[in-house]
Amino acid sequence: MMEVISKDTGKREMVINMGPQHPSTHGVLRLELVLDGEVIKEAEPNIGYLHRCFEKYAELMDDYAKVIPYTDRMDYVSAINQEHGYVIALERMLELEVPERVEYIRVIMAELQRIASHLLGIGAFGLDLGAFTPFLYCFTEREKILDIFERATGARLLYNYFAVAGLMRDVHPEFKTETSDFVKTFRPKIKELNDLLSYNSIFIKRTANIGVLPEKVAFNYGASGPVLRGSGVKWDLRKNDPYSIYDRFDFEIPVGSGELGTLGDCWDRYIVRVREMEQSLRIIEQALDGMPDEGDVMAAIPKRIRPKEGEIYTRTETPRGELGYYIISDKSASAFRVKARAPSFVHLSMLPAISKGSLIADMVAIVGSIDIVLGEVDR
Amino acid sequence: MRNAVKQSWITFKSIFTGMGVTIRHFFGPTVTLQYPDERMELPKGARARLFVNIDDCIGCNLCARACPVNCIDIETVAATQDVDLGKTSTGNPKRFWLTRFNIDMAKCMYCDLCVHPCPTNCIYMVPEYEYSEYDRSNLVYHFSNLEPDMVAEVKEKAELEAEQKKRDREEMMRKKAEEKAKKEMEEKKKAEEKSEATSDDKPANDKQGEE
Ligand code: SF4
Ligand code: SF4
Repeated sequence: MMEVISKDTGKREMVINMGPQHPSTHGVLRLELVLDGEVIKEAEPNIGYLHRCFEKYAELMDDYAKVIPYTDRMDYVSAINQEHGYVIALERMLELEVPERVEYIRVIMAELQRIASHLLGIGAFGLDLGAFTPFLYCFTEREKILDIFERATGARLLYNYFAVAGLMRDVHPEFKTETSDFVKTFRPKIKELNDLLSYNSIFIKRTANIGVLPEKVAFNYGASGPVLRGSGVKWDLRKNDPYSIYDRFDFEIPVGSGELGTLGDCWDRYIVRVREMEQSLRIIEQALDGMPDEGDVMAAIPKRIRPKEGEIYTRTETPRGELGYYIISDKSASAFRVKARAPSFVHLSMLPAISKGSLIADMVAIVGSIDIVLGEVDR
Repeated sequence: MRNAVKQSWITFKSIFTGMGVTIRHFFGPTVTLQYPDERMELPKGARARLFVNIDDCIGCNLCARACPVNCIDIETVAATQDVDLGKTSTGNPKRFWLTRFNIDMAKCMYCDLCVHPCPTNCIYMVPEYEYSEYDRSNLVYHFSNLEPDMVAEVKEKAELEAEQKKRDREEMMRKKAEEKAKKEMEEKKKAEEKSEATSDDKPANDKQGEE
């Protein structure tokens, strides 16, 4: 039989398994912890419990379009953003022009999804630390976003909404008013969340100065997204390498500053997400103003997707960080090779580095603060 | 000492700010529904369950080919010449008996990819979500409305016709070959005559050759 626990320990140390069915690991994550009393000496994530061969599937499908529903299932909390990267990669390969209206709807959808994903991340983070109420309030708001999605796309979680150079269907007529209503009602909720959770003393005690990720370590591991920004690095692909029509919008990149503790601690990563939601609201407002009312969203969808021979790497900013798709085409109906660079995977690999020396109770906070989705880690 | 008092005050305050938020929510409207007693109305385009209007299906297999998980299973039998299956409501002529049209809803991932290619818009999603089953096999939906003996009958007929057609085709091939040989003979003869004939005959000859 295979050894389940691989760690060898001295007299003073103990090995415990956290997960894969632990309520406070996000999904099926298993951590092998070497403990000295309560202090973590070593932590090793064991992954693969949710592996579904995304890359192999993507190569086996006889059509590029058939892969889009599979991308949804990588990071099922932000499915729209996953699709976005994939369709952009194909559009660049095929050199297709995307209609204006489609671009605007995509941006609105992607930002709504970003808010929904952050709400889940924040809520679950609070829940890990024992704050149950914010979780429910976050979910109330998230439901509203999912309602908008459901009316527009027909699905609540896994949308398969973006098509190459188009959308699977047009949004419902009340989409604009509904979304702007949501934006209006959601703004005060962010303040509420700050009152309830962000500046709560107990919460700060549990998160500030915990799991510090220095800038250099973040760079070395290839961190991106809110995790990198939490360490004070102003890096956002929507600004630094604009894709879609993000260069038309005016928004800021919130970064951590070590306000309540050390730069790059759990609280910094957390607050970056909260502030990003505000920025997303700004983008949505601008996009709603600019969105053309007319236009067929399905007109430009190609019948056959046969990219030229070649390869491409495109990266987009998902709520978790840089999601990259590397696609090699051999001119056939399906890709020769598809590789997805998943931010959660990268961030999980940093876990041993940032959790060394912390208490076992803080491990939960650290895992929560990097906001991983195991579906994306394992793919 | 002063610091400790200050800290306690901050903690105290932050807890009560939070309490204030929860109390406001407590008196706010409820957001949950008491599920089997109350139900949420699904929007019009909700993707929850597939439905096939089998009367409109022409058996073109496009939906099955679009499905990424291969959960649509279609078997068609060509209709014999003596039956007219009529037309769909969209005006497409129907040429196939649909002897099998199964959708495995347990496998389906509601991606909507099969809905778009259908030429007669007869496969679509309906907002129906309460269809759990105790047995997995019950989730395989059979949409074909042909009785088993009918299926056997049309299959037999189709086979017979196919055989007949094959024979006919062979017959025709033979005839064609004969005709061709004849024509070639004639043409040869004509070509010989042509050398003497006027140029007016030429186009007529060409047409004949094409036929
Ligand atoms: S919805 Fe998707 S998975 Fe389901 S039958 Fe249609 S194509 Fe297949
Ligand atoms: S695409 Fe439509 S018409 Fe063709 S087989 Fe499927 S359901 Fe029938």
